[in-house]
Amino acid sequence: MKKFLTLILVAAMTLSLVACGSKKESKKFTMGIDPEYPPFSYMGDDGSYTGFDVEICKAVCEKLGYEFNVFEVNWDEKLVQLDANECDCVWAGMTILDSMKEAGYTLSAPYYSNTQVLLVKEDSGIASSADVAGKDVAVMLGTSGDELLNTDLKDLADTFNNVITCDSFLKCFTELGGGAVDAVFVDYPVAASYAKENAGYKIIDENYGAEEYGIAFRAADKELCAEIEKAVAELVADGTYAKIAEKYPDIIDNLVFLR
Amino acid sequence: MENVLEIKDIQKSFGDNHVLKGISVSVNKGEVISIIGSSGSGKSTLLRCATLLEKADSGSIKYHDTYVAKTENDKEVYLSKKELNKVKSYFGLVFQQFNLFPHYSVLKNVMDAPISVQKRDKAVVEEEARELLKKMGLEDKADAYPCELSGGQQQRVAIARALALKPDILFFDEPTSALDPELTGEVLKIIRNLAEEKMTMVIVTHEMSFARAVSNRVIFMDGGYIVEEGDPEEVFGNPKQERTKQFLRNYQQ
Amino acid sequence: MSLFTMILKMSEGLGRTCAIFFLTILFALPLGMVVALLRMSKRKVVSAVTRFIISVLRGTPLMLQLLAVTYGPYYLFGFSVSRNKLVPVIIAFAINYAAYFAEIYRGGIESISKGQYEACEVLGYTKAQTFFKVILPQVVKRIMPSVTNEVVTLVKDTSMAFTVSYQEMFTIGKQIANSQTSFMPFIVAGVFYFVFNAIVDFVMGWFEKKLNYYH
Repeated sequence: MKKFLTLILVAAMTLSLVACGSKKESKKFTMGIDPEYPPFSYMGDDGSYTGFDVEICKAVCEKLGYEFNVFEVNWDEKLVQLDANECDCVWAGMTILDSMKEAGYTLSAPYYSNTQVLLVKEDSGIASSADVAGKDVAVMLGTSGDELLNTDLKDLADTFNNVITCDSFLKCFTELGGGAVDAVFVDYPVAASYAKENAGYKIIDENYGAEEYGIAFRAADKELCAEIEKAVAELVADGTYAKIAEKYPDIIDNLVFLR
Repeated sequence: MENVLEIKDIQKSFGDNHVLKGISVSVNKGEVISIIGSSGSGKSTLLRCATLLEKADSGSIKYHDTYVAKTENDKEVYLSKKELNKVKSYFGLVFQQFNLFPHYSVLKNVMDAPISVQKRDKAVVEEEARELLKKMGLEDKADAYPCELSGGQQQRVAIARALALKPDILFFDEPTSALDPELTGEVLKIIRNLAEEKMTMVIVTHEMSFARAVSNRVIFMDGGYIVEEGDPEEVFGNPKQERTKQFLRNYQQ
Repeated sequence: MSLFTMILKMSEGLGRTCAIFFLTILFALPLGMVVALLRMSKRKVVSAVTRFIISVLRGTPLMLQLLAVTYGPYYLFGFSVSRNKLVPVIIAFAINYAAYFAEIYRGGIESISKGQYEACEVLGYTKAQTFFKVILPQVVKRIMPSVTNEVVTLVKDTSMAFTVSYQEMFTIGKQIANSQTSFMPFIVAGVFYFVFNAIVDFVMGWFEKKLNYYH
């Protein structure tokens, strides 16, 4: 049955290719996006879709010689629409959920990750979050870290002696450097850049409040997924990826491939 | 006759302004001396030097047998602070502007210095203070505050305050100049009563008829010098110096 | 979060707000007098230096001074930052308010007539007696309105302790406002400050009345 379907499909594609004429082997690649999710995908000033995901996808298509196409998914129905071949992938700032893996979808490696980490002093003897129990932790007011400690990570926060809310990252780090707190709970990229510029700090990453974006393909499209991933890796290698990312400063620090 | 105060040849300048140009005054016990003269003649400065509010540039000041200040090797030498405090109990000063302590009641104004400076017994001081206020005609004002009193009453409190320390000599610096004319009488009457009790007093005043009536001696100062000094009847009735005559003439007009 | 929980949470910080307020008053009032006396010193160097310090303290935001006191020693000398933020907060507040009080005192002291000093001198009072028995009581009465002004400002300034993450009432209010995306904590804070100041006004008014037995 499946073979038959594929046959029809190939036949249809061959027909369309013939119809198109001049271009040879121009395969269509349809990207499923959420058109209202800036800066990943949204409608640009000229009325066409743009955004970080869209631009990367375009570059990938160019590299692979695919014809780039966009399909606006209905967010709640995105996987159903994917299964119905309305699009070849859902690539739209989408958080990878365990439920998707369980349902058998082919998922790319995460390209965007927003996790909270603990920044501690190297010589503090703190090796895991368990060591922070009974200690003072600084967090910046209004950040995801602050929000998480009050909601999803309330249990973790309760093991701390005190959560100190600062109104800037600099103050959080000063408190840590000055020994007034034992750890800073902060977004990974912020912690990483501080630890890089200042000696004597280390990051404890236990995937707190992890939010990872990836691309979903149909279960059977493992090859396609690998092909896209490889193309993305090439874009990263030749600098195109970074060049595009620079246009989106709000998310650049969370892009896994640029770390 | 017992000498209370002897001032010899004192000089005082404020910058270029030479205010006292060698003044000598001697005050005997029981004497009442009036110092008259136009403003700027140096009479107030003389009083301020005598009461140690100003330091003289040269010359000597002696209370009883104690030299408060004298010139040694061209330098004016004052007693040490501690010794000066002892001398301060020899004299009292009544200011033109009263300078009562506004936050103290009348009674406390009079009692505070004897208690906290002279360390005398509170009960005794209070008895004496009430007696003094009675003498000033203010026995019913003991609990009032200075702001509730007329200028004349305030000046009488100030006199009582000075007397409470039992000084040997009392100085008055134009005691009625800040008062309304109708209030000067009550203050002058008190001073007259003190004169009758043989209180030693030096009074800087513009009240000529009062000075004539109450003093044993009158000193007329002009331009930093003592121009004329003598019996009040003589100085007022028959002045010898032209400047004295001119001053008194201006006053009568 | 219910309004009641909100008020309850913010009340926890109110104790710290009161601590800043009372400790600042306790230290700044006498310290201000010391500064005022140094400012009026006859030694020109002392008075000039004091004057400069006062102008720096009055001419820079309290927020910066809080940062300087809390984090300055760490950045300059590598000293550790105090875990108990009340200490640097009180130091910064007391120094800042002492500068303001000093100028108020100075104005008050200089408004006392020379005659009061001369009367004391002639009566034989010592310098200390003159100051404490005669001058200071009159100064206190004269400066009461200005001091009340500063005290009212202090109540509101306590919120500045947020700068160094001291968990006083307003800091907690801000956190609640942020997590609940609600404006309500600010209204609650406003009511707290208003009531606090109404009490301050009442007490200072009572005190001024007590001093009104003379003028």
